[in-house]
Amino acid sequence: MRNTICLRAAVVLGMLLVLGGGLQSAAGAEDFAHIETILREVDTRSTFGDGDFAALLTVITEDPEKGVEQTVVRQFRRDREDQFAMLIQEPRVQRGQGYLMDGENLWFYDPSSRQFSHTSLKETFQDSDARNSDFTAWSYAEDYEITEYTEGQLGVNSVYIVLLAALHDEVTYPYLKLWVTQENALILKVEEYSLTQRLMRTALFPSYARVGDSVIPRQMVFVDELAEGQRTQIAFSEMSVQPIPDYVFTRAYLEQVNR
Amino acid sequence: MRTVLKTAVRSVFRQKRRSLLLAGAIAFGMLMITLMNGFTEGMLTNVRDNLSHALGGHVFVSGQEITETGRVVSRIDFDDRLQTLLETNSAEIASITRRSQTFGTVVFGSRQSAQMLYGVDFQAEERLRTSVAVTAGSLEAVMEDDQAIALPDSLAQRLGVELGETVLIRLDTVTGQRNVGEFWVRAFIEDQAELGMSAAFGHRAYVNTLLNLPSDSYQSLNLFLHDLFAADKMADQFRDVLPLRPVGEDGDDQAAAFGFGPFGQQQAPEPWDGIRFTIATINDIMEPIEAVVLVLDRLSLGVFAVLLVIIVVGITNTFRMIVLERTKEIGTMRALGMQRPTVRRIFLAEAAFLGLFGGVVGLGLALGAMTVVSRLTVAEPGLQFFLAQGRFTFQLVPQVVLLHFAILTFVCLASAYWPARSAADLPPIKALGGHL
Repeated sequence: MRNTICLRAAVVLGMLLVLGGGLQSAAGAEDFAHIETILREVDTRSTFGDGDFAALLTVITEDPEKGVEQTVVRQFRRDREDQFAMLIQEPRVQRGQGYLMDGENLWFYDPSSRQFSHTSLKETFQDSDARNSDFTAWSYAEDYEITEYTEGQLGVNSVYIVLLAALHDEVTYPYLKLWVTQENALILKVEEYSLTQRLMRTALFPSYARVGDSVIPRQMVFVDELAEGQRTQIAFSEMSVQPIPDYVFTRAYLEQVNR
Repeated sequence: MRTVLKTAVRSVFRQKRRSLLLAGAIAFGMLMITLMNGFTEGMLTNVRDNLSHALGGHVFVSGQEITETGRVVSRIDFDDRLQTLLETNSAEIASITRRSQTFGTVVFGSRQSAQMLYGVDFQAEERLRTSVAVTAGSLEAVMEDDQAIALPDSLAQRLGVELGETVLIRLDTVTGQRNVGEFWVRAFIEDQAELGMSAAFGHRAYVNTLLNLPSDSYQSLNLFLHDLFAADKMADQFRDVLPLRPVGEDGDDQAAAFGFGPFGQQQAPEPWDGIRFTIATINDIMEPIEAVVLVLDRLSLGVFAVLLVIIVVGITNTFRMIVLERTKEIGTMRALGMQRPTVRRIFLAEAAFLGLFGGVVGLGLALGAMTVVSRLTVAEPGLQFFLAQGRFTFQLVPQVVLLHFAILTFVCLASAYWPARSAADLPPIKALGGHL
């Protein structure tokens, strides 16, 4: 009799635990769905859909060893074709260098050797703390899954603090921590972690601009969390969504424009 | 025969100055060809040794597999066929190294520098323990901690790192994800920056963790052989047994075999299942260097040929003059009953004597020059790849030296043959009268 009571109690307890867990995961899934929606919105707004985008970028890199360096770059983007072209205009010694992405290929052009070399979105941009992928559209919802989120404050903004883990090993950083505003779903800060979960880089997006239907950071700050004192600031100006001629996204253009 | 030799030697010493000039020309030829050959042979050996040491072996085996996303990842797991091959050839293998490697950025404070990092099994790599020159700390200290590292001297100086401090290494996993390792500096080693191959050494298990590989996997298997010249034969055996990676169009597979490939970043030329191997030998990278040495050898042979022509002309003219000068003497010898072949042999022996004497002197001078030059220490970084511990080394192949002697003697004999024959053919009466 006593054994039967114990058995029943164990079964009831087990059922409660399973039910409780199920309810909790259902609630978690619901919450994550809300954050997922926000991330999809962030991704969608960072692309230019059917339109083109052009801007002038001023990249200021601070390095305790090398000092402060400024690079001015003209950027052209056509997200629907996975294309972008970037032409370096300053400093003078690097004028003529450029990047061209077409689909999965990314080339770097050096006018001194008149040669294109393959590079990758994961590579750093011109020895700065920015990566080539920082100049393309975001895809958080596609590449990452949400592992945890909390609500918090960043300055005067109420934010969701979201922890993401990569869904595959194609992305540069396996773990991310995002600060997204609750009011208008803007990413204000991103911490990027290594596979060993060590903070490697912090990206800050203090201001945004609406360009056509898209919203993109007007200013980006990247702080290297491993090398002390290394940071890069990127400011966007002369932003435009006017159609860009097809020939801009060709190797011939990069060769020709630099002559 | 004794009379012939005696007469020949006496004739050589009779005109000392002329004989010295002739022997000097021959000696110069021998000196040049011996020096050049000794230099190129020594240089080849040095380059081979330096490369073997820098790359860590004579035969290089690397493995690649394709991930689900189509990336080529460098990796070797336990393989029965590979193990059997190693056991079968164990008598010829002096040592085996199983390493992982990555090109990362070492960060210390605000300073950072790119650096090749090898993940090694210190216990198993006795050759590494005995060949690496430790300038501070010890490899035993490195072996004690999983996260310990031996850094090249030059890198430590650049970063300002002291023993016992911690450095970070920023690197990519085999699939290209960013990762960071924390290493404790336990030793500084003399690097091979002058060979263009500076490397830091850490524990393979920890490096594998950072590369996102299982701790017992590795990326390259290098074999040091007892006989370096057996490398190609052994590589062929491995190629016959192991599944090979399809040959790429861009030569990436060859680079990967030596650990130079952009691991984890390549797209497969055509897909395959499981791990495929790439096998290379030290001779594969020696080919272009050997081609350069061959050109040097050909050049020195050309110089030798020019010198031989000069020697031929010199000896022929000199012996014609000798015959003119000794016409009466030849007549007297013939009148006293000396036969024509004996007269001919006297002149030929004189030429052979000159050739041998010049050759020996040339060889002696070359050996002297080699001894002096090989004692000089050369600090020029660009030359270190061709030197042994900063010094030129010369290697003489006895068969080649003998061949050069034979060529010189033959040339001397051939040059003197016609004057010797005309001397032998002189009628005694005419010769006694001093007429040819």
